[in-house]
Order: sequence, then C-alpha cells, then structure tokens
Amino acid sequence: MASSASKRLFKEYKGLSSDAPEGITAGPVTEDDMFLWEALIQGPEGTPFEGGVFPAELKFPKDYPLAPPSMRFLVDVWHPNVYPNGQVCISILHPPGDDPNHYEQASERWSPIQSVEKILISVMSMLAEPNDESPANVEAAKMWREKRADYEKVVRDNVRKSLGL
Amino acid sequence: MDSSFELPDSTDWHATSLPLFEPLEAALRCEVCKEFYDNPVITSCSHTFCSICIRRCISTDGKCPTCRAACQSDKLLPNYAMREIVSKFQDARPKALELARKDKEVSDASSESKKRKLGDTDIEEEPARQTRSRQARTQSRRREGTNGMPIEVPDSEDDGDDSFEPEVEGHVKCPACKESMLDAQLWHHLDVCPGLENSAVGRSTRSSANNTYPKSLQSRPKEPSPAPTRLPGLNYAMMKQNALTKKLQDLGIPTWGKKDLLIRRHTEWMHLWNSNCDAVENRKSKRELLRELEVWEKTQGGSANIAEPKVMRKDFDGQAHASTHKSQFDGLIANAKRKREAAKAKKEEETNEDREKEEARLNEGIPQITEPEAIPQPVDVVHPYEGNEAALASVREKVEQANRVGTTLPSTTSPKPTLEETRIASQAYQGMPNPFGSPTRKVPMFALPADPIVDVEQSTTIQ
Repeated sequence: MASSASKRLFKEYKGLSSDAPEGITAGPVTEDDMFLWEALIQGPEGTPFEGGVFPAELKFPKDYPLAPPSMRFLVDVWHPNVYPNGQVCISILHPPGDDPNHYEQASERWSPIQSVEKILISVMSMLAEPNDESPANVEAAKMWREKRADYEKVVRDNVRKSLGL
Repeated sequence: MDSSFELPDSTDWHATSLPLFEPLEAALRCEVCKEFYDNPVITSCSHTFCSICIRRCISTDGKCPTCRAACQSDKLLPNYAMREIVSKFQDARPKALELARKDKEVSDASSESKKRKLGDTDIEEEPARQTRSRQARTQSRRREGTNGMPIEVPDSEDDGDDSFEPEVEGHVKCPACKESMLDAQLWHHLDVCPGLENSAVGRSTRSSANNTYPKSLQSRPKEPSPAPTRLPGLNYAMMKQNALTKKLQDLGIPTWGKKDLLIRRHTEWMHLWNSNCDAVENRKSKRELLRELEVWEKTQGGSANIAEPKVMRKDFDGQAHASTHKSQFDGLIANAKRKREAAKAKKEEETNEDREKEEARLNEGIPQITEPEAIPQPVDVVHPYEGNEAALASVREKVEQANRVGTTLPSTTSPKPTLEETRIASQAYQGMPNPFGSPTRKVPMFALPADPIVDVEQSTTIQ
C-alpha cells in the first residue's frame, strides 16, 4: 500500500510530465521508488549559466510534504548558494521550524503547500540572482561580489565542461 | 504501486475540451495531499484543508501551511459546504470527463458541436442536482441527530413520535387500527374499520419500518462505532515511557518501540482518530483506523525501511521466514558454490599454464623477440591509448574465455584456439606490441597494462 507521501509525489510527477514549466524536467529515477528524483534544469538565459543543462537529484523524506526534500547538483556548479558538494542551499528547502541562518523570512521557507515545481523554479531564479547574505560557497560568493568577470568565466567554463566541450 | 498509475488528477482535464476544469478541480483539492478534500475543515485563518492533513501539519510546526499564521487543532471547524461541493463534483466527474474527452476527439475543429455537447453536460448535471437536495436534507437530518445526541435510542423514539404527530387538534385515533382522523369521521369509520391486522397490511411500510423493533437493530450498525469524542493531546515530556505504554495499551494500539516511536505513533493515532471525528457520515470503524495506522507504521513509523529490528524482535517467526525465502537462500548457496568451484578450476588452470610457459620458453624465444619490438613501436603509434583500450578489451575477452573454458573443459586443450585468435587480433591492431605473442595467456594478460603506460611516458619525454 502506498503511503500518502508517495501518492502525492506521484501526482506531482504526473503534473510535471503533463505540463512542465519551461527549462525544467523532473521525475523519479525509477517508478518503484518515488522518494528519489532526478531533475534537469536549464541555465537561465541572460546569465553565465545560459546554455547549460544541470542535472540534480532530489531526495524526499518519508513524511513529505511535511518536511522538505533535499537537492544536490550532480555537476560542478560554481555558485554562492551551492555547496562544493552540490548541495543546494535556498530558503524554500529549509523547514520552517528551525532557522539555521537566522536571516530567512518564514514566508520564504518550506511549507507543505510548496511543490517540486516551485522548488525547481526557485532554484532557476537562484542561479540568475545569487543570494550572498549567507553563502554556502564562500569563495564563490567573494568572487561574485568582487570579481564578477572571473566568476562568470568560471561558471562558463563549468558549463562548457559539463557539456563535454 | 500499480494502483497509483490510475490516480485521478486535475491535469486529466488538460487533454479535453474543458481545460478550465483543471483549475476548478485543483481548487477542490487539498493543497497538502493534492487529493479531493476529505473531511474538509477550516482553520482560524479561514484556509481549508483535509482534517487529517492540517492536523499533521499543525503537529509539526503549529502553523497554517498557506499563510503561516499560528493554528490550533482544537479550533478547526468542519467546512460543510466544501464537503458537499467536493462529493457532488466527484460524482459528476467521471461522466463529465468522459464527455469532454470524447468531445475533444470528435471535434477539434467545429466549435458548434462543442457547444452542443456542453449543453448536454449541463442537462446531465440536472438530475444530480435534484438528488443532491434530497441527500442534503437527509444528511442535515442525520447531522442534527448526531450533533444533538450521539445515541441512537432517542432518535428511534423520535420516529415513534412522528407517527403520533398527525394528532392535530380535532383529530382522534381509531382505537382499532390507530389511524387518526376527524372526530366526525371516526364514527363512520368504526363501522367499516377492518381492525389492526388489516391496517398493518394497508400501511405496511410505514408502521413496520418506523415502529418495530428490528428497525432500530438495523440502524444500529450504521452508527459509527467510535464515540465521537476527540482524543486530547498528551504532554509527552511529562510522561515516562511506562505511562505512555499504558496509555497506548488503553487506546488499543501497538506498544512496541522506544519512547520516541511511541510518541510518534500516539500522535498519528490522535490525528487519525480526531479527523475521523470530523467526518459526518461514513465514519470509519476503529478497525479501519487501525489498518491505516498499520500503513503509517510501514511507511513512516517503526517498521519503515528497517529490516533488522523485525528479525530481532521476539515474536519473529524464523521458521516461516526461512521457508518463504527458501528459493532465494538456495540461489545464494548455489551461487557461492559455483564461485568456489570456478576459483578452484582457475587455480588448476594456472598451474597448468605455468607448466606450459616453461615448456614454451624452452622451445622458442618468442617472448625475448617480441619485447624489444614493443619499445620502439609506440613512438610510431599516433594514439597509444586507442591501442591500449582495444588491447584491454581483448584482454577482457580472453579472461572471460579463460573462465568459460576453465569451467567446462580441461585446461590443456584451451590454449590452441586462443592463441590463433590473439594472433589475428594483434595483426588487426597494426604495430601494437603483440601481447599474446607468447604461447601462454597468463603472463601477457597481466603484464599488458604496465607496458603501454611505460611507453607513453617514454614517448612524451622524447617529445
């Protein structure tokens, strides 16, 4: 018998496969396990990420949607809000109970009415507009703040590398 | 999991001629579970959720998922209008969806036929509305009954009263057949009154249905078995494990596990129970609730993805486990045996090969000739890695072959075909060091990866 979490995930999967927002594809790796998804995010246009396609994995907790999933990029993403290991750090992925960073507004945080689609859209806009207030990757944040040209070059190189060019 | 492939969803309307029904249906679904509202309740901030969903949300962070205002589960109120709309929509949905799908198929072109079909669906909904009002009336009556007095007995007494009610002023009852009528009529009636038995036949359904004893017995099973009193929350921090175990035992739910699990189980049970109290009709029995708790236990509770504790539990039936998984165990054992035999065969082969190698060295000096050749050649080769990869592939092939041969045939016959093959393969690579030039297989196979790498380094240092 399927749990309520896997039912809801299946519904989201169905919704995403029937009409996904532009530049986003997501679905479970296998349909036997609804709790591990893979997503592909297109680099937003007009940013150094443009032209890149970034695979990421989403892990859902058993009590989803009460608790948020975690998200990790599977390629190198040089970005102030992405840890060197690929873990994405944005407010929508943080449960409302505890605020480890003490700067996020509760309204930006996870709530059961959020969805995979909203997460991926947030990540896309995060790529375009980094939040350097509490960076996950300090080096990248410094570079973004002080040497924007270098930052963009690293990002472009990463994009090219990920595309195998 | 297969059943989930048929989960109806608001996106079903996308491919129909009524795409605007998608947002309509989405509005009738709970934002937490994405299902149709089940026992919808309204929060103090006026947002609606399934009773069970909002209870679970509140117990995790005490806030409304939509607006994040503080919420309390004892302030939740049932949203009857939403319940009504959802249930009627669900009744109408399959037919409407079917029509809208057909409509889309038939006419992607002509808008006129679409209009006509739309008209059809309107008519289709008409009878539903009629039944609705009737059902609503019966529901509201039942609701009054349950809200006022949760016990069925006074209700049946009410029914008894009903039959007396026609006793309006100026009316009297016939002493024989108990039918009430006007004073003046009674005298006339008495002359023709057929008596009690006949009257029972005449008004059969009413009297037997309303007044007789079996009716109340019949209606009793419909009465929800759990009394609609909500469970109070517990102050878990103040309770010792024993007290909590006792509490769970009193509630009739499983008591195994650590305190943390007991707390989570009690919380879930409280959600299931209390949301069931929000149900007006079709209230679930305790057995159903226990089954739901079991599902929770399997997916999120104590037995979720932990296999070992189950095996370690005292009531674990080892015999049954062994018998149900016998085929798997047998497979594993067979596998292990096969591996061991293969390893043994390989060992024997190796010793044979060693002997062969020595013989080969005595007979001809091939290894000595090929090796000097190998050093200058890589300089000529433009892509040493390409050659290397191909060589590695052929090595893998040989290994497989060797294993196959080793298990099926005695080793002495095997070297001949492999020798030929390797020669052909080495010719195809053109100028590559012939790794299998020697009559033995074993030495070149393991020596190979080292040689080209050394060569590459040499070539790069030369350049």
